[in-house]
Formats: sequence, structure tokens, C-alpha cells
Amino acid sequence: MGVRFKNRKTMNGLERQFAQTIAEHKSTIYTVCYMFSQDADEVNDLFQEVLVNLWKGFESFEHRSDIRTWIYRVALNTCISLDRKKKRAAEVRLTMDINLFEDRDEDTKQVDMLHKRISKLQPFDRAIVLLWLENLSYEEIGQIVGISTKNVSVRLFRIREQLKNMSND
Amino acid sequence: MNENFDLENMRQQMTTLKNKLNQQEIVNDRFVRRSMRNEVNTITRRYYIIMALGLFMIPYGYWCFVKLSGLSIFFWIVTSIFMLVCVGATFFTLRKINDPNLMNHNLVEARKKVASAKKFEANWLFFGIPAVVLWLGWFLYEVYQIHGGAIGNGIFWGGCIGGIIGAICGLSINFRTQRQYQDIIDQIEDLTAGE
Repeated sequence: MGVRFKNRKTMNGLERQFAQTIAEHKSTIYTVCYMFSQDADEVNDLFQEVLVNLWKGFESFEHRSDIRTWIYRVALNTCISLDRKKKRAAEVRLTMDINLFEDRDEDTKQVDMLHKRISKLQPFDRAIVLLWLENLSYEEIGQIVGISTKNVSVRLFRIREQLKNMSND
Repeated sequence: MNENFDLENMRQQMTTLKNKLNQQEIVNDRFVRRSMRNEVNTITRRYYIIMALGLFMIPYGYWCFVKLSGLSIFFWIVTSIFMLVCVGATFFTLRKINDPNLMNHNLVEARKKVASAKKFEANWLFFGIPAVVLWLGWFLYEVYQIHGGAIGNGIFWGGCIGGIIGAICGLSINFRTQRQYQDIIDQIEDLTAGE
């Protein structure tokens, strides 16, 4: 909210910085939104909502943690918390020429398989496995989720078992 | 394929996803600018509308109940107090949900905060619904006293049917919300067990 009262010059600088950050981390944000959505419209809505929340916290983010960790935290929090009862017709849409929910090439089938497996998990487990797949350390995962490193490894072991059982069904 | 399934396979699939995404523009300037201008989301807007309606009901109630319908001033005072309590409860929930740093917390902490705000909202209905039923009863009694006869009967039965339908809908939504948030709290407890 404080952002509004900044002078125009500072605002432009902040906006440019924000736009650049988003451009650098767009695929990270998209991946989180994709794993918590059922269709392209929902990804669009979630992406917009994540950007709104990132912008709200952008000024107060003081690089005390790695920017990627912060982006994961905000994106996952938004995706887990968002009230999705009403779907809105997005006024501005993502600019992508692929549709991971509908395209049928071999790569997309693989991605779809990943999506199906992850979406069967509970939201917190989904977040943990997603962070693990993004090659984050147990310590970083623990910081983002809010649990100990030991608990992350226990949890991942259980998730692995759960996923194995799912694939055997 | 299924028998060899492991998290490592998923890592491969994740790499495929990343490769696909890296070839895409995904987000344009217009999309980013729109997000920067869109600070008040739909949920927050709903709370503001409820608060505005609650406050509007105070002067409107005076005109509608006292001036137009001839109901007692005491009825209007109690209605106004009820409206102020509603506005206060909505404001309390909004303040919790609209914390600009909410999403910066870790997932467990943020979820606990949202769950507690939503649980308060759901618990509020345990007071709100009986209060509305009592208010409606009082309203019908006053209308019946003043108008009596056919008009009074019509308002009475209309009010009863509307009140019952409203109470059933409100309670079913409330129970569903309570269940959803209890589920989240259970998940958090499961996740943090042994911490």
C-alpha cells in the first residue's frame, strides 16, 4: 500500500525492477501455478494473483532471503490459499503459444503425467515435492514450508511411497 | 514405466517442462502492469461492500423502519447496534486476511493465519444466524402490531419462509466452510507433528 505514496520517479524505477524480476522468474511462477490448476484459465487467474501478491510485498522484500525463495513462498502461499469458487474472465492473458493442458505431443504428455501425479497430493505435499523437483535443498524447502529439515526428509519419503502406490493402482 | 516410477522420473519430466517454458514469452508488459494496478482483489472488495452496506443500513433503517413503517425507535437502535457489530466482525476478518505481509510468511504460518480468520468468519455465523432469526421475529411482531390483518399475515408468512430458507442456506455454507478449514488445520498438524 505504501508503494502508492512514493514519488513517480521512484515508482517507475521500482516498477521496472519488478517487471525485470518477473521476466527472470516467469517459468518458476508458471510452474507453481500450473501444478495447482486444472486448466489454462485457472493458471491465468493464479498467475495474475501471484503477481499482485508479489508486487504488494516487493518493496518490503529486503533481500534478507534469496529472491527465488521469496518468489516460491509467495507463489505457493497464493496458490494454496486462493479462494477459487468464482472464476473470473481474465482481462489480460498470459502470452503463450503452447497449452500444457491440451497439446498432445510427446513432451507435453510427459508434463501432463507429472501434473496428474502431483495434483493427486495434498496441497502441502504438492508444495514440498515441487520444491524438491526444482532442486532446492532440504533446508530451503524447510524454510519455505515452515518445517524442520528432518521433517522435510521424512515427508519426502512418505510422498515417495504415496506416489509409488498411486502408480501401482 | 509404472514399475520404475520414482521421484527421479518426475525430475526428468520437470526438466521437460522447464525446457518448454524457457522457450515461451509467458508474460507480457501489459500483464505485469495490470497486476501492479490491481491491488484490491475480489475477496477484499467483497468485505468492503459488506461493511459499506452495514453502515448504509443505519441511516436507511431509520428512514425505512421508523419514518416509513412506523416501527419503534428501540427496534432501529438494536438493528443499528447489530449492523455495527457486523461491520466490526467483517473489519476484523479483513484486517487478518488483508495483511500485506501474509504471503511472505512460510506456508504453515500463512495458512494458519488464513485458517484462523476463516474459522472466525464461520464461527461468527453461530452468533449471526440466531441474531437474524430473533431480529426477524421482532420485526414481524412489530409489523403485525401496526398493520395487523391481511398485510400483517402476508408479511408474517413471507418472513417465516424467507427466514427458514435463509437459515438453512447459511448454516449449510457455514458447516461446509468449518469442515474445509478443519481439514486444513488437520493437514498442518499432520505436517508439523514431531517438530
